[in-house]
Amino acid sequence: MIGFRLSAQRPPEPRRVNDVVVQRFDHVYEVDPALMSEHVRQHDFPAWDTRRIVDSRWEHLAWMHAHWADSVVSGEELLSLRASTTDE
Amino acid sequence: MTSTLVTDPVIDELVAICGPDNVFADRSSRVNRARVPAPFPVHRWAEHVPDVVVLPTTAEQVSEVVKLANRHRIPVVPRAGGTGLTDGAVPLRHGIVVDVKLMNKVLEIDLDDRTVTVQPGINMLKLNEELRPHGVIYPDDPASYPCSLVGGRIGTSGWSLIGGRYGHTRDLVISFQIVLPTGELIWVGDGGGRKVRKSSTGYQLKHLFMGHQGTLGIVTEAVLELVPRPEAEFAAFFSYPDYETAWRSTGALAKSGLATLAGVVLFDEWKLDYLRRDDEAYIPQPADVRCVVATAMYGTTDEVRPGASRLMRIGAETGGAYLGDEISQGDWASRHDRYATPLHGRLRDGQVVPMSWHCEDASINWSQLPQVRREWHDIVARLGDRFRIFDDWGMFAYTNGAFKPWGDYLTEIDVGIWEQELDDAAWDAWVTAKRDIAAVAIAHGGSISACHGACRAGEVDLVPTELGGGWDVMKKVKRVLDPLNIMNPGKYLLDEAYEGDPS
Amino acid sequence: MSSTERTDGDDDGTAGFVAQWRNGAYNCFSSGHKFCREVCPVMQVTRNEVHTPTAFHANVVAMEKGLLDIADVARDYVHCTGCGACELRCPNTLFTGDFYRFRTRTVQLVKAARALAVDQGIHQPGWQRWVEETDRQRSEPVLGGEVPVSQDHVRDWAAGLDLPVGGETILFCDCEGAFHRTSVPRAAAKILKAAGVEFGLMREQWCCGGPAAEMGYVERAREFARHNVDDWRAVGAKRIIVFDPHDYISFTEDYPSYFGDAYDFEIVLFVELLAELIRDGRLPLTNPVERTVTYHDACRLNKRKGIHAAPREVLRAIPGLTFKDVDHVTQWSYCSGAGGGLPIERPDLTAEISRRRVAKAAALDVDTLVSACVWSERPLTEQRGQLEIMDLLEIVALSAGLEDAA
Repeated sequence: MIGFRLSAQRPPEPRRVNDVVVQRFDHVYEVDPALMSEHVRQHDFPAWDTRRIVDSRWEHLAWMHAHWADSVVSGEELLSLRASTTDE
Repeated sequence: MTSTLVTDPVIDELVAICGPDNVFADRSSRVNRARVPAPFPVHRWAEHVPDVVVLPTTAEQVSEVVKLANRHRIPVVPRAGGTGLTDGAVPLRHGIVVDVKLMNKVLEIDLDDRTVTVQPGINMLKLNEELRPHGVIYPDDPASYPCSLVGGRIGTSGWSLIGGRYGHTRDLVISFQIVLPTGELIWVGDGGGRKVRKSSTGYQLKHLFMGHQGTLGIVTEAVLELVPRPEAEFAAFFSYPDYETAWRSTGALAKSGLATLAGVVLFDEWKLDYLRRDDEAYIPQPADVRCVVATAMYGTTDEVRPGASRLMRIGAETGGAYLGDEISQGDWASRHDRYATPLHGRLRDGQVVPMSWHCEDASINWSQLPQVRREWHDIVARLGDRFRIFDDWGMFAYTNGAFKPWGDYLTEIDVGIWEQELDDAAWDAWVTAKRDIAAVAIAHGGSISACHGACRAGEVDLVPTELGGGWDVMKKVKRVLDPLNIMNPGKYLLDEAYEGDPS
Repeated sequence: MSSTERTDGDDDGTAGFVAQWRNGAYNCFSSGHKFCREVCPVMQVTRNEVHTPTAFHANVVAMEKGLLDIADVARDYVHCTGCGACELRCPNTLFTGDFYRFRTRTVQLVKAARALAVDQGIHQPGWQRWVEETDRQRSEPVLGGEVPVSQDHVRDWAAGLDLPVGGETILFCDCEGAFHRTSVPRAAAKILKAAGVEFGLMREQWCCGGPAAEMGYVERAREFARHNVDDWRAVGAKRIIVFDPHDYISFTEDYPSYFGDAYDFEIVLFVELLAELIRDGRLPLTNPVERTVTYHDACRLNKRKGIHAAPREVLRAIPGLTFKDVDHVTQWSYCSGAGGGLPIERPDLTAEISRRRVAKAAALDVDTLVSACVWSERPLTEQRGQLEIMDLLEIVALSAGLEDAA
């Protein structure tokens, strides 16, 4: 659905992850809103904004890798290579 | 709030030197050039506002401004990015701020002799975007990489996250032009050749000015090292069930002798507790992940791959559990812009408040790390017991030596400070704690500052103690080069250099 | 040099502004990190700290402490295009904005500071004239104050296209497209017709109100919004198609803030609809376009909304095109300088920002710079050098055989 509807921007209710962290969207952590009740209040944060920030963060990190080097070596790949050679 | 020395005729002279568009005496221009990111006494902001700001475009203009300042006895405070963490660019006596940001050009790229010549107002990330098509990079990589400027890197003798591989600012800056406190324009380097890296001709003057915090002049041009752009980057983060194991593993990794190793970073238990509050990489970590060690390597693919294999083996053999590619690569990539986020601040009841960030940066030898950690956390805990505005954000220890990452560590404790509630009592307590923290570093054979500089209130009082006989030499140098105490006066207790002078 | 201590008597406006922005201001002031600075198109040119998001936030703290008042800084706040690079790049947004549901909001802060200035009778002369003219003619004076952009002419761009008025789906045409670069709305209308999308025009279209809101004329902006929404309701509109990114921001951010939950329209961005139509085969792109192009990410799509894939998908669907892309993260620091009212108060700055943008494109060895924002195209065209500046809809219309005869 490509159109913007205000009603679709309301974030889902939070579910608890631990004492201080909750989750509304998959793979996106949030502070327990109760911890922002006295000195700093949370903003109205429509769903598109959460999506934009999360996507932008990963894109920025990918950009940083490419800024510094042509390729990234994978530790997991090295571990599995070593495991397969010791299996021989 | 202001001194009375910057009169209208002085403004007129500045305009004659820099042009009417680059001299600013309005309130906004001055008020907005008073602080740097280090914790700031907001309630005493007016004490640090300069009288006038100039944005020069040439070295000659800078020279003329400094000569004018000498004629009229007006303080000069150089300002590059204003992103330093030791108040180097914070005016202590008002005066003229010389802001070099308009001088941000790349003047020459020499691919034969492997140098790039730049002006001091250029940022390293922007510079590297220009260098990329040529297959080279200038690898000076602080936590402020996307925003700090070359002039400030020289002014602080900056530290690079990947200094273990490529060196720090003082290893990467080959030579530079500087306006001396009396206005003369000179070049300093290793000897006189601008692109010569190693010389024994005369005194090693370049190093005299590395880290001068604007007290010995203003850099107006610099020749920098060009390094081949890395083919490969590798990052591996390991977790540990206790500090001792993590600390020993850090030592083993740093001593591995792997040429492509760029850095090793030890996160202590307090840092893990802090990161678990709001960092998506650490929130889901099980409780037995008490400490973390991060490592990174850069180089050609055929050097990095075998080196990385060996590094992974050393990590595992010394008790580390690999945290996986997503965290290793994601967290490593975030380290190039790693100043603190204010909402990390918590009061003791867990409520979020926006805090400013104090970043301690002592140089500590590996053997002393565990004890320094215990004493520092103790100091911050006692401070937090008295004033709710302080929050312990944990410690990092980063390999510190250029090209030889095994002897000493940039040892950082991060303290959050709720600036909105800062008053004189809390500020004074902070300054005392800051002094105590610095005293611990000295007591363990270390140095107050690895890279920011030691000009902050509290710690600066111990600079003579740390330097011993060197303090007298430092004062003599200052006195000879800056006879009228024009350059950033009051910084580094250097007024002492003038005691006994007729005023 | 006078003292900086201010004794404001009954400065309710300032006190309210400071109270509202205090935490946001300290969130920036206390961090001081300035990662925003090098991505800001204005800062890249002026290098003057008073134009930084850092200063924009620090000013609020300074006002609280009595060191500055709005008169001291009103002119500084002119220096912003509202591109959103700073607030996205800021680690307080990028790394933790989603975690805390609290992010850096420099764009809103600049608008609020501009509104505070206007409230206290401090006007930027160009903006004041612009908003007065817009109020008089109901559309922005994009052809210069002397050439009328009245309601009599607001649909002239559609001459010969036989477009109905009203209906469930409305095509909103912004002022720059309606009067200056009419090839863009004409392309939009023809594309929709060719793809079989039913739509109509507004009965009485007024300016969206975005520029007035950006310049600090809050009540004017709300009046325009009220009028437009009433017009939409009057013709039974449920869905508004909009091609100008500035309008998209107005309709998805400003209007919801004015009307709340009562605002139940579906706002469709033309380029996203276009990508879908092409994907679904409803708009055959039959004519090759033999050009070597690069794409200018519109700030209000890329940075402000995270919309950067759809325009690229559209370009890649055009036969004959050689597309030399620059990734959308690198483009966080790109801008045309056309937004936020900057071209009216500092045309020299806009010109330099556009000159630099065109130079970056020219360095790629292309013949065309394609933009998805009609407002960017005028300053980019003025600085174009050897390049041709085209709108994405114009180049799609060419490929679909829909362009107007020469």
